[in-house]
Amino acid sequence: MTYAVHAAGLHKRLGSTQALAGVSLELGDGITGLLGPNGAGKTTLMRVLATVLAPDRGTVRLLGRDPADRDDRPLIRGRLGYMPQEPGFHQRFTAFDFVDYVAILKEMTVRRERHDEVRRVLDLVGLAGVGQRRIKALSGGMRRRVALAQALLGDPRLVILDEPTAGLDPEQRLRFRELISRLAEDRCVLISTHQTEDVSALCRHLVVLNGGETVFAGAPRELAEVARDRVWLSDERSDAAELSWLTGDGRHRHVGHNPPPSAELVAPTLEDGYLLLLGGEPLSVAA
Amino acid sequence: MTTHVEAELLAAYASGDVDGAHAYSVEAHVVGCADCQAAVGRLLAPARLERGWADIEYRLDAPRAGPVESVLARIGVPAHLARLLAATPSLSMSWLGAVALTLAIAVLAAHQGERGLLLFLCVAALLPLAGVAAAFGRGLDPTFEVAVAAPFSSVRLLLLRTAAVLPTTIALAAVAALTLPGVGWTAAAWLMPSLGLTVMSLALATYLAPVRAFGAVTAAWLAIVVLSALDSGDRLAAFDGAAQIAFAVLAAGAAIVLALRQDQLDLGRTL
Repeated sequence: MTYAVHAAGLHKRLGSTQALAGVSLELGDGITGLLGPNGAGKTTLMRVLATVLAPDRGTVRLLGRDPADRDDRPLIRGRLGYMPQEPGFHQRFTAFDFVDYVAILKEMTVRRERHDEVRRVLDLVGLAGVGQRRIKALSGGMRRRVALAQALLGDPRLVILDEPTAGLDPEQRLRFRELISRLAEDRCVLISTHQTEDVSALCRHLVVLNGGETVFAGAPRELAEVARDRVWLSDERSDAAELSWLTGDGRHRHVGHNPPPSAELVAPTLEDGYLLLLGGEPLSVAA
Repeated sequence: MTTHVEAELLAAYASGDVDGAHAYSVEAHVVGCADCQAAVGRLLAPARLERGWADIEYRLDAPRAGPVESVLARIGVPAHLARLLAATPSLSMSWLGAVALTLAIAVLAAHQGERGLLLFLCVAALLPLAGVAAAFGRGLDPTFEVAVAAPFSSVRLLLLRTAAVLPTTIALAAVAALTLPGVGWTAAAWLMPSLGLTVMSLALATYLAPVRAFGAVTAAWLAIVVLSALDSGDRLAAFDGAAQIAFAVLAAGAAIVLALRQDQLDLGRTL
């Protein structure tokens, strides 16, 4: 089987930090979620896979080609859509100007065809009516959708989205899920997100990074299974479990290896598994 | 009683087969006649109507060219490249205004004596370099990450922007040099160092982050300017004939290094 992404033994040092310490992964079609605490190396990994950053060691093959090869690189980039974690904009640009600018960088030189494509992707993300508004006048959620639109230019085969749902309201998140799930039917999509609900709802495959290493790779339900027989509800606060918090219905949820007295065992969620996997580190799932 | 447009003429109008005068006269009637409007609607081929709407949308959406983009298009730069160049931070009006102001101050200093002339030569040599340093890179161009991930080569973008920034800034410096008080060819002595420093900085940027590379080259050159002046007793020693030849040779060597190592920029290793 040819994977859209095949990475082996990736190492990358950024200043004094070892951002990636031997990450390996293989991604096929469908949506893969990337989780990990702050500083886990998620953004570094995404930038390496987006060919923005070269690894110090290790090998990467994208869409069957080598990004380190001068001839392969433009072919990969021509079929790659990338939305960075903090997409920047020229403030005087309108949404249409910006996406048009990126379309030129994607070598779409025929003006008429390029403009049709810009209109298509703005329409896809629900911004057809605001193309002529300056980006500085758009809300944060709209700006992220403009950034998402540019990543979809040219119908890319590999789509890498760094925190695409940050700043989107619940309705926009649902629309995003609908759009991405439709896109991922015949391509490889990699997303990092703050929202474990997004992972549960969208992702067929899940990778968890911690300290620059892969600590989990599998289906979301398998991550939930990590916390099987390790999650309880009780009416009393207890320090016995590694993690416990007061839930909205007034009961205490405990995750860990030591059950509190008179607690009721409940089914684990993906978030429980994630917390247990990281040894009780606070939930902050985007670097 | 209302006179309507003849059916034959209306059909010719709907298929686009009438001349301008007839089309105008049909339109003058149709805008005020609901019956003829409906008749035109029935006669128009759906494909033609769709093309018409697409044309309108296309014209409404078309990005408006700013002043820099318009100038570039007027001198023959292809429209899509003019768009990429117009987004260069160091081609913005505020940047060019700051360059003009800096040059004006340096010219005033040059009118005060040889020390001021040295200041002008250093400023004139370094301004194009600063413009190239600010043309493309992380933290300088807000769309940097997206640009690097696109198939348009980062090296090509950097060199295109360099090719736009250099003549613009050099032209401003040349105009300023014309106002210097009778110093002969010395008024142009900044040009070769400027070109040499720029190419050397670009070559060093394949090893270091561009801002660091440009900073290192600038610092090294200013140290040479001061040391050569102290050593020879001639304030303008770093701009004499031998220095000009040295810069030409160094620029050629740096260009070779840049050509050989351009992949480092395209892979985003240092940018």
